[in-house]
Amino acid sequence: MHTIAIPHVDPLPVPGPVWLFTALLLVVFTLHLAAMNSALGGGIWALWNYLRGRHSDHPYSRQLANELAAMLPTFLAFTVTLGVAALLFVQVLFGNFLYASSILIGVLWLAVIPLVMVAYYGFYYFSYAAEKGKGIAGCVLAISLCVLLGIAFIYVNNMTLMLGPERWLGMYRAHPNGWNLNLGDHSVVPRYLHMVNGSIALFSAILAMLGMRKMKVNAGYGRWLVQRSALVFAVCTGLQFLLGMWLLLAIPRQIAMVLLREPLAGSVFGLALVSVISAMLLILLGSLAEKPSSLVYAGFAMSLVTLFLMVCLRHLLRLAYLKPYANLGALAVRPQVGVITLFLLLFVGGLATVGYMLWLVARSGRTPVSTATPQ
Amino acid sequence: MNYPQWQLAFPGGMLIALVAVLHVFISHFAVGGGFFLVLTESLARRQRDVVLLDYCRRHSRFFALLTLVFGAISGVGIWFTIGLVSPEATSMLIHTFVWAWAIEWVFFFVEIAAAILYYKTWDSLPARDHMIVGWIYFVAAWMSLFVINGILTFMLTPGRWIETHSFWDAMFNPTFLPSLAARTAVSVILAGIFGYITLPRREGREKVARWAALWMMAGALVLPLSLWWYFACLPQFSQVYLNGVLIGVRHAVRGGVGFTLLALVIALVCGVWKPRWMRPPVVALLVICGLGMIGAGEYLREFVRKPWVISQVVYANDVRASQVEQLQATGVSHTANFLLTDDTTSMAYGENLFHLQCGSCHAVGGYRGMKRRVDGWDAEFAADILQHIPMMHGTMPPYAGNEEDRKALGSYLASLNQPWHFNITDGNRLEIGAKVFEARCGHCHTVNGNFRPLRGVFENETPSQVQDMFSALGAMSSNMPNFNAPDDQAQALASYISHEASKPVSVKPAPAALPNANHSQLTYPALWQEVR
Repeated sequence: MHTIAIPHVDPLPVPGPVWLFTALLLVVFTLHLAAMNSALGGGIWALWNYLRGRHSDHPYSRQLANELAAMLPTFLAFTVTLGVAALLFVQVLFGNFLYASSILIGVLWLAVIPLVMVAYYGFYYFSYAAEKGKGIAGCVLAISLCVLLGIAFIYVNNMTLMLGPERWLGMYRAHPNGWNLNLGDHSVVPRYLHMVNGSIALFSAILAMLGMRKMKVNAGYGRWLVQRSALVFAVCTGLQFLLGMWLLLAIPRQIAMVLLREPLAGSVFGLALVSVISAMLLILLGSLAEKPSSLVYAGFAMSLVTLFLMVCLRHLLRLAYLKPYANLGALAVRPQVGVITLFLLLFVGGLATVGYMLWLVARSGRTPVSTATPQ
Repeated sequence: MNYPQWQLAFPGGMLIALVAVLHVFISHFAVGGGFFLVLTESLARRQRDVVLLDYCRRHSRFFALLTLVFGAISGVGIWFTIGLVSPEATSMLIHTFVWAWAIEWVFFFVEIAAAILYYKTWDSLPARDHMIVGWIYFVAAWMSLFVINGILTFMLTPGRWIETHSFWDAMFNPTFLPSLAARTAVSVILAGIFGYITLPRREGREKVARWAALWMMAGALVLPLSLWWYFACLPQFSQVYLNGVLIGVRHAVRGGVGFTLLALVIALVCGVWKPRWMRPPVVALLVICGLGMIGAGEYLREFVRKPWVISQVVYANDVRASQVEQLQATGVSHTANFLLTDDTTSMAYGENLFHLQCGSCHAVGGYRGMKRRVDGWDAEFAADILQHIPMMHGTMPPYAGNEEDRKALGSYLASLNQPWHFNITDGNRLEIGAKVFEARCGHCHTVNGNFRPLRGVFENETPSQVQDMFSALGAMSSNMPNFNAPDDQAQALASYISHEASKPVSVKPAPAALPNANHSQLTYPALWQEVR
C-alpha cells in the first residue's frame, strides 16, 4: 500500500466566495450535461432513425434524422462551450485533485481534444450528407458516436480517479507516462452506463417536447415523435433506476450511506427520485392520448429538474469522497469584488445579446437550425 | 514537485508549443476573419455585388468549419495541455484570473452563438440583421482576444502585481497594450491570407484577391510599430535575449520577419498585380508563411520569458520561486509528493529528478536533448555544475534540490554517455581540447565570442600557465565549478584555450550584457515607467 500523496492547494487565495463558485459550477455543469446529452443522445436517435428512414416506409424517421442532422453540430458546439465553463470553475475548487488525476491518465486525457474534433467534423459531415442520402453518412455518424462514447469513458475515468487519491501513487509508479485508466474502481462501469443511458433518456424527453411543437405544423409527425420518444424515455428511465442501483452498490459503502445519513444529500436524493418518477408519469400520461397533452411539457421540465438535482447529488457525493482530504470551507478566500461584478454584468449582457440575436432570427420567421447550411 | 510529473519522451514544453501555435494561428484568424467577413459583406451589399456576396457566403462556411471546430477545440486543448505539463503554473493563473476567464467565456459563448447564426442565416435574415449578427461576432471575438491577451502578457510582465497582487495590475500589465495592438494586426493579416482559400475561380477573382491583399498590407503597416512598442516595454532580461545573445532567438526573429515579408511579396505579386497567379499552391505557401509568422512570434514570446513560465513566480520547470530555497535546504525527497522511488541514492532517483527538474524543456535525446549536452561530464563535475545552472545563458531556473539530489542527478546525467578516454597526440590535441572546452566551459563561456569571452583572461598565456589556473577555478568565483578533468584532457584544454586566446582577431570581443543570473530582479525599461 502506497502513501497517500495529495498536492497542496494553491497558496493564492480563492478569488471569490466558495458558494458562488459552487453555484456557478452546478448551473453550468447542468447546462453542459443538457447539451452533451443532446449531442450524444441526439446522435444515437439520429443514427437509429437515419438507418430506419432509408426504407421508404418510414418517412417520419427520415424526417427526424434530417432535422437532427442539422442540430447535432450546434449541440456539440454548446457541449464544448459550456464544458469550458465547468472546467474553469471545477479547477478553482478541486484543481489539486483534478490536475493530479488528469496527469495520471495524461495520454487519454489529452486524446480527448483530437477525438472531439473528429466527432465534431463527423457531425458536420453528417449534417451535410444526411439529406443528400450519401451512402457513408451513417458510417460517419456511427464513427462520431463511437468517438463520443470513448470520450465519455475517458471522462468517467478521470472524474472517478480524482476522487481516489489512495490509488494515485501506485498508479503513477506503475505508469508515469500517463497510460493509465481507473478500471480498478468498481464504480467506473456503472457510472459510465448511467451517464450514457441518461443521455438517451434526457434527449428523449427533449424530443417529446419538440414533438409537441411539431404537432402544430404536422400533426401526424408530431404525434409519432411524442409517442415514440416518450416510450424510449420511459424504457431508458426504468433502466436508469437499475443502473443507479448498481452504481450505489459499486461505490464505497460509507459514501453511499451519505444519501441516507446526511439530511441535505438525503433530501436531494429523495427529491430527485420524486422528480424523475413525476417526469416519467407526466410524459407517459401526456403522450398516451390520441392527442398528446401539455403534460408532456411538464414532464420535460421535470426531467430538467431531475438533471439539476442529479448534478447536485454528484457534487455532494464528490464532497463525501474527498472529505478526508479536502475542506472547501477552510480555503482562504479573497474575493475580487470588482471583477466578479463585471463578470455578472457581462454575463447578463451576453445572455441578452444571444437572446437579441435569436429574436432577430425568430422575427425573420424561420428557425436557424432548420435552415439549410449555405452551399 | 507538488504534482505528479507527466513523463514524456520529449520536452513537455514542446507539446504546449505545438498545441498553442496551431490554436493561436486559427484563433487570430477567428478574430480578423470575422472583421473581414462583415466588412466584405457590407461592401458587397453597398455595391450590390452579388458575386462578392456569394464569396462571403462560401467564406463564412469555411470560416465556421475551421474556427468553430479546430479553433475552439484547440483552445480547450491548451487548457488540457498546460494543466498536464505545468499544473502549478496553471493553478496560479486560475487563482489570479478565474474571473477574467469567466468574462472571456461570456464573450466566447456569444462568439460561438453569433458564428453559428451568421453562417446559417444567409437566406433567412434581412441584410441589416445579418450584418448586426456579424458585428456582434467580431466584437465578441475581439473582446475575447482582449481578455486572453491580458493573461498572456501577465505571464511575461506581471508589473505591479508582484507588489499589489491586484487583479487590475495583473491584467493591465506593462505589455498589455502593445501586445493587443500586435495581435490585432496579426489577426488582420491572417484574415487576408485565409481570404484567399475561398477565392472565386473566375468572376470576382481579381476584386477579392486585391481586397484580401489590402487587408494584409493594412495589418503589416501596424505590426512593426506595435512590435517595436512591445519590445520597448519588455523587462531587461528579455531585451538581452533579443539583442542577439542566443542563436535560437536570432533565428526566430529572422524567421518571423522573413515569413511576413514573403507573405507580403506574394500578396503584392499574386494578389494585386497578377491575381490569376494566386493558384492553390501559392495560397498554400501563403498559409505556411502565416503559420511561420505565428510560430516565430510565439517562440520568441516564450523564449524571452525564460527561465520563467510566470515571471518571478513560477519557473519554466513548474517550480515556484518561493519553494527553491526550501528545496535546496531539505531536498526534493522531503517535498515532492510523487516520486518514483524512495531510494534517494539510486540511479532511478536521479532519473526521476531529471524528469522533475528538466523535463519541461529537455528530454534525453532529440530537440534540446541532454545526452549530447552532457557528453564529457563525469558525475562529480555534473553535480557541481548543477549549482551554477542559471549562469548557462541565463535562461535556466536554479537547481531546486540539496547536495544529495545534485549527486543523484549528476550521476544520472553522467551515465547518459560513456566516459571519455583519449589517445592524445600533437596532431589531435587542439581538436580534443575544443571538445573538452565545449563540455566543461562552453555552456557559460566562449574564447573569442561575445558570451562571457575568456580572451581577456588568457591572452598570450602559455598552455602551462593556463593549466595552472584550472586548479584555482572554484576559488576564483562562486559561480564556477571545480575543475576535475583528467590530466590529459586538462592539457589538451589548456593548449586549446592558449591557442585560441592568442589568435589574432580583428575586433576584440566585448562582453555582451547578460541577464541577471539570480532572476530575482525584474527591471522594466523607461518607456514602461513613463506609461505608468
